[in-house]
Amino acid sequence: MATQHSRAAARVMISPAVILLLGWMLIPLGMTLYFSFLRYNLLMPGTESFTGWDNYYYFLTDPAFSSAIVNTLILVGGVLAITTIGGVLFALLLDQPMFGQGIVRILVISPFFVMPTVSALVWKNMFMNPVSGLLASLWRFFGAQPVDWLSEYPLFSIVVIVAWQWLPFATLILLTAFQSLDQDQLEAAEMDGAGALSRFFHIMLPHLARAITVVVLIQTIFLLSIFAEILVTTNGGPGTASTNLTYLVYAESLLRFDVGTGSAGGIVAVILANIVAIFLMRMIGKNLDA
Amino acid sequence: MGRITLDKVTKRFGEVEVIPPLDLTIEDGEFVVFVGPSGCGKSTLLRLIAGLEDVSGGEIRIDGRDATEVPPAKRGLAMVFQSYALYPHMSVRKNIAFPLRMANMDKAEQDRRIESAAKVLNLTDYLERRPGQLSGGQRQRVAIGRAIVREPAAFLFDEPLSNLDAALRVGMRLEISELHERLKTTMIYVTHDQVEAMTMADKIVVLRAGNIEQVGSPLDLYRSPRNLFVAGFIGSPTMNLLEGRAAQAHGAHTIGIRPEHLDLSRESGEWSGVVGVSEHLGSDTFLHVHDTGLADIVTVRASGEVELRHGDRVFLTPQADKLHRFGENGLRLA
Ligand SMILES: Nc1ncnc2c1ncn2[C@@H]1O[C@H](COP(=O)(O)OP(=O)(O)O)[C@@H](O)[C@H]1O
Ligand SMILES: [Mg+2]
Repeated sequence: MATQHSRAAARVMISPAVILLLGWMLIPLGMTLYFSFLRYNLLMPGTESFTGWDNYYYFLTDPAFSSAIVNTLILVGGVLAITTIGGVLFALLLDQPMFGQGIVRILVISPFFVMPTVSALVWKNMFMNPVSGLLASLWRFFGAQPVDWLSEYPLFSIVVIVAWQWLPFATLILLTAFQSLDQDQLEAAEMDGAGALSRFFHIMLPHLARAITVVVLIQTIFLLSIFAEILVTTNGGPGTASTNLTYLVYAESLLRFDVGTGSAGGIVAVILANIVAIFLMRMIGKNLDA
Repeated sequence: MGRITLDKVTKRFGEVEVIPPLDLTIEDGEFVVFVGPSGCGKSTLLRLIAGLEDVSGGEIRIDGRDATEVPPAKRGLAMVFQSYALYPHMSVRKNIAFPLRMANMDKAEQDRRIESAAKVLNLTDYLERRPGQLSGGQRQRVAIGRAIVREPAAFLFDEPLSNLDAALRVGMRLEISELHERLKTTMIYVTHDQVEAMTMADKIVVLRAGNIEQVGSPLDLYRSPRNLFVAGFIGSPTMNLLEGRAAQAHGAHTIGIRPEHLDLSRESGEWSGVVGVSEHLGSDTFLHVHDTGLADIVTVRASGEVELRHGDRVFLTPQADKLHRFGENGLRLA
């Protein structure tokens, strides 16, 4: 039915949406790109001038940059590891028939509905606070010195907080994957002499491969840009111990009022995110076809 | 060896008793078919033997040893599922090798068994494919291959052909019978299709609501069904079951006569009626005869070339020695 005429009409019809979307993405990107080549400091308005690659040079040679890259990778990798492994185990548990299954499932899913800032503040003030936190009480109960989590292990603490938020997502996706596993296959494997562990590694895990890929891809996209949790807990510190790339861009442009360097950092972050995305698609994206 | 004995085996799901206490012996090398209508407990019985379900009571013995508490893998039985239950991410070779790998068999012996199974089942050219790339019949053969490489004491089949189309079903039926002739291993085969039961079995077990209605060779069941249920279930088209006047004349509450045991005549006979639909199969014609005063429809087998039309009056005479007589309780009268 797609005649020349109707195809032309279709293009006209969808053009407002496409133009809106393009503008939505291209204008901010273009402006960031433009700012990244300017000397642009909010403390000295009206003095903007073209500086070429200077902003990029300053951003990339800043010692905070390399530590931010490392922190970003640790953050993403740590959360991915905890959520996929934990998610598989949780899903395995939730798939078992048990009393109160519906309620338990809702409880497990619920952290996902809590806003990132709220959950980070809850962790900061109610769990990890060295004086009044639950963990501190626990430590004292066992006669140990309470730990000031956010200043002694800042990055680890943030990994824990973010993993807590994303575990339900991974669990949910993996649980639906478990439920689509043909029970006959498990029974056939049982008759073929496969024990519980063999069944898990030879039958269940390959069945989950696609769902795990989805979890890793989607989470990576969101985890590369974690910000709120860092802002409300450690502010990137102490020093730059918990500063990731997103937070560094924020620090440059809004704490040091240097919009030019911040924009350069933003462009660097976009490029790095694309490299990671290509790398990921190459590595595990093949699980998604067929 | 594969002699399987069920002794008062019972199965309950919660309050529901699916299998009331049941005794059955399956001899070594026998091809036994469990047949019965859908939901009568055939699969459950097979899964009890396999160990995939726990018995609620009674004892299962395999080759004389109590296997009631033995886990499925240790019973030495192999099962072929209706859904084939192939492992989709493994090649055909890996699928067939799986039970051998799980038994830690050495690689050379694995390969030898896989090659020979593939040869028997015509799968040699497909060993490197995934199950998703095979047709239904080929998948079925892979499932059978995975069972035979283990060299089990007995094979369990749960409606293995019901996902195949009619032509393929006939072919696979022959292949499985052929396999049994070759291997001489005990086979237990579950089906709801009495044609499969009649054509394949050494011994048929007819089940209804978990109860064994009759056990016997296909011809035993055909010639002397023990009760009305077996009489109506075995044979195609089904036996004509007649009550009332005609039955009383033969001293029974119900009489049964198969379509092939009624003599047809245009002039005279014991009963008369009007021809309705005729089903022409070429070799035979099945006539539906109405208005006999015996039952709504009496089915008669006539020769393929019979020249009878809708509305013709015909006379029917049952062959006296082929008449089945049943009492009020539904049991066969001697
Ligand atoms: N896991 C189960 N839980 C409860 N009832 C079941 C279960 N499996 C089977 N049944 C019941 O047992 C009866 C026999 O089932 P099944 O053995 O599958 O019948 P068949 O294979 O002869 O069609 C059915 O009424 C079915 O509803
Ligand atoms: Mg069944």
